[in-house]
Amino acid sequence: MDFISPEGLRLDGRRPFELRQLHAEIGVLDNADGSATFEMGNTKVIAVVYGPREVQNRSQQQLDHALVRCEYSMATFSTGDRRRRGKGDRRGTELSLVIRQTMEAAILTNLLPRSQIDIFVQVLQADGGTRACCINAAALALADAGIPMRDLVASCSAGYLNSTPLLDLNYLEDSGGGPDLTVALFSKLDKVTLLQMDAKVPLDVFEKVMNLASEGAKAVTQFLREILMENTKKLAFAKEPLKV
Amino acid sequence: MSANEYRTPGEVLGWASEYVAGPGTYVWHEKVYASVVGLLRLTPAATDVEDQRPTIEVTREKERGAVPEPGTVVTAKITKLFPRQAAASIVCVGPRAVRDKFTGIIRQQDVRATEIDKVDMHTSFRPGDIVRAEVISLGDSRAYYLSTAKNELGVVSATSDAGAAMVPVSWQEMQCPITGQREPRKVAKVI
Repeated sequence: MDFISPEGLRLDGRRPFELRQLHAEIGVLDNADGSATFEMGNTKVIAVVYGPREVQNRSQQQLDHALVRCEYSMATFSTGDRRRRGKGDRRGTELSLVIRQTMEAAILTNLLPRSQIDIFVQVLQADGGTRACCINAAALALADAGIPMRDLVASCSAGYLNSTPLLDLNYLEDSGGGPDLTVALFSKLDKVTLLQMDAKVPLDVFEKVMNLASEGAKAVTQFLREILMENTKKLAFAKEPLKV
Repeated sequence: MSANEYRTPGEVLGWASEYVAGPGTYVWHEKVYASVVGLLRLTPAATDVEDQRPTIEVTREKERGAVPEPGTVVTAKITKLFPRQAAASIVCVGPRAVRDKFTGIIRQQDVRATEIDKVDMHTSFRPGDIVRAEVISLGDSRAYYLSTAKNELGVVSATSDAGAAMVPVSWQEMQCPITGQREPRKVAKVI
């Protein structure tokens, strides 16, 4: 199958190095301590953060740092065919673990001993790149909750199809059979916190794809910062009349 | 580094040798970084301290729910009465409503300032009363310890058996405007 037309455009009309349209909203739920939705094209994810709060299960309490928990789920209506996915499926547990580890690396857990932070991530619409989208949404929700973090984490995926590195794969490209790589970065500290790829590729190809994904993640960070700034300004404006 | 700007986590704020890292920041490899989203603030050091570096901090714009602290005056609703203490649920801290559930306990010896050993809880409060109380300590793991041992603290609103809001007649009695019945309370002198 041709994933790139002779004009150099992909199936959805993007160029190989182009991200999908990004859209984010912060503070979508009132009851949660922090919440956000994040959209990359047609992929839409909601992340909700509760905490820091008291540890529910006393035996899990850690005296020197916070306990971070993450639960990933997919809405039954998120894919084309309606399927009921239990909480205990392999993909779900693996993704929960990946998101938890990435977020745990970002959070300054040593500042919040004996407490627990719960991150709930749900995919509302799946169109490839859910892993990256979940991490971005969770980062925004954590920032909204005011949990101290080392740096903003941002994530992006990239692949290699028809001998071309492609940024931010959609569902069709994702199921195209090529390698699919997800990277999460601390852009200011210039550190990689997550790197996943389930395929074998030559080293030079890997480097190209990896660089592309990193560039994508940096662009996403920039977007996250802008959204957070905008939201903070809005909150500051909303608070203004109280300051007499 | 100019103040009154917004910062996001991970942004470098300056050298650790020039600033003292305040809330919302952290130090890593001799640099100060922001750790939350918010407004950057600089506070100059006090003149009599040896360390003359200004404190740098990032303050959040989003309001968190109010949390009772020792010394603050809270508004609480009495939920249960025991011979030696009254349980209350805190609804406001100062002028701000709380978001989470906080329970408080008013012990017998904290109800009033005088004759504290002769206090009868049942003639001081009734379940459903709204009281103003001061937080005296964080208490045990379950409840804050509250005190009404001041003139301006105590019951501010109570309903009678007839269901009407009662009117205070003295510092230890309230009267129902419908039936004229008097009920004992530890009444607050509202200023």
